[in-house]
Amino acid sequence: MLTAIEAVLLTFALASALATVVLRDVLAAIVAFAAYSLGLALVWVVLRAPDVALTEAAIGAGVTTVLFLLTITRTVRPTENVAKLKSIHWPSLLLVGLLGAMLLWTVPAIPAVGADAVAWNYDEVSQHYLDNAYDDTHVENVVTAVLAAYRGFDTFGEAVVVFAAGVAVLAILKEEQFT
Amino acid sequence: MSTDGRPYVESSVIMTTVRILAPFVFTFGLFVMFHGASSSGGGFQGGAIVAAMIIMLAFAYGVEPTRRWFFNEAVVGLVGGGVLLFAAIGLGPMLVGGEFLEYHLYGITDATKYGIEAVELGIGAIVAGVISGLFFAIAHGFEFRRDQE
Repeated sequence: MLTAIEAVLLTFALASALATVVLRDVLAAIVAFAAYSLGLALVWVVLRAPDVALTEAAIGAGVTTVLFLLTITRTVRPTENVAKLKSIHWPSLLLVGLLGAMLLWTVPAIPAVGADAVAWNYDEVSQHYLDNAYDDTHVENVVTAVLAAYRGFDTFGEAVVVFAAGVAVLAILKEEQFT
Repeated sequence: MSTDGRPYVESSVIMTTVRILAPFVFTFGLFVMFHGASSSGGGFQGGAIVAAMIIMLAFAYGVEPTRRWFFNEAVVGLVGGGVLLFAAIGLGPMLVGGEFLEYHLYGITDATKYGIEAVELGIGAIVAGVISGLFFAIAHGFEFRRDQE
């Protein structure tokens, strides 16, 4: 079952996610969202996915927060007496609750963390990479071997997508240079 | 970076902390890019770490001084250079009749490993350039607005 640290991290992530939703002040919501990303990054570490954790911490908690902060500086912040929390829209809550229940319903189909069973149907493919990655590519991290060698052409496409996204944002902002 | 229109006041605590941190974080970013072959990490993560540090510098020293230091040619060089590096390494083996990214045709020991590390470095340059470039492109309007007030 859950260890103490997992329980604490999951509670933290859930609580900050909830705070992001209900806080009315946009600045407070952004800070809560950054806390949620940081909590999730730690959850990834506990689940032994350090690659994902690194990205979540740097992009989710760091860069996204800064970009959101920059964006809200262009808006006005109401200072009058407004409620601290948003009022709840019950039909939306019902819909989200149903969707959540549907997703949670599939959880028992997933093997427990650390169980012998595998979560995918055809594990021969994964096993092939795990067995042959070092001999084929001489790198120890199988994730990197798949990313940059077996599926290198896909990764090239991804890198060019990042490049194109940067150019597209410049076009949208009607700028001709980044800095 | 305050929302109520007050100008940013330089804080010596934040500036000193960021100045001491910067070389270590940049080195760590490069380490994550290179060491992605042997441990967790890689170009996307390393590039994000480098970009996060550039944004931290902009927070500590103000966007405008950082913009002067990190000029547009540097961003374009990082982003375009990264794509060209990846493409060159990928297309290289095709010159000698191989296929895209067939590293071992480079004919040096552990060609695949060094090839992967070079590709990760290219990805890192693209990611670091685009993320910090986005930050400066959006921050541009912010400073303009503050001048108007």
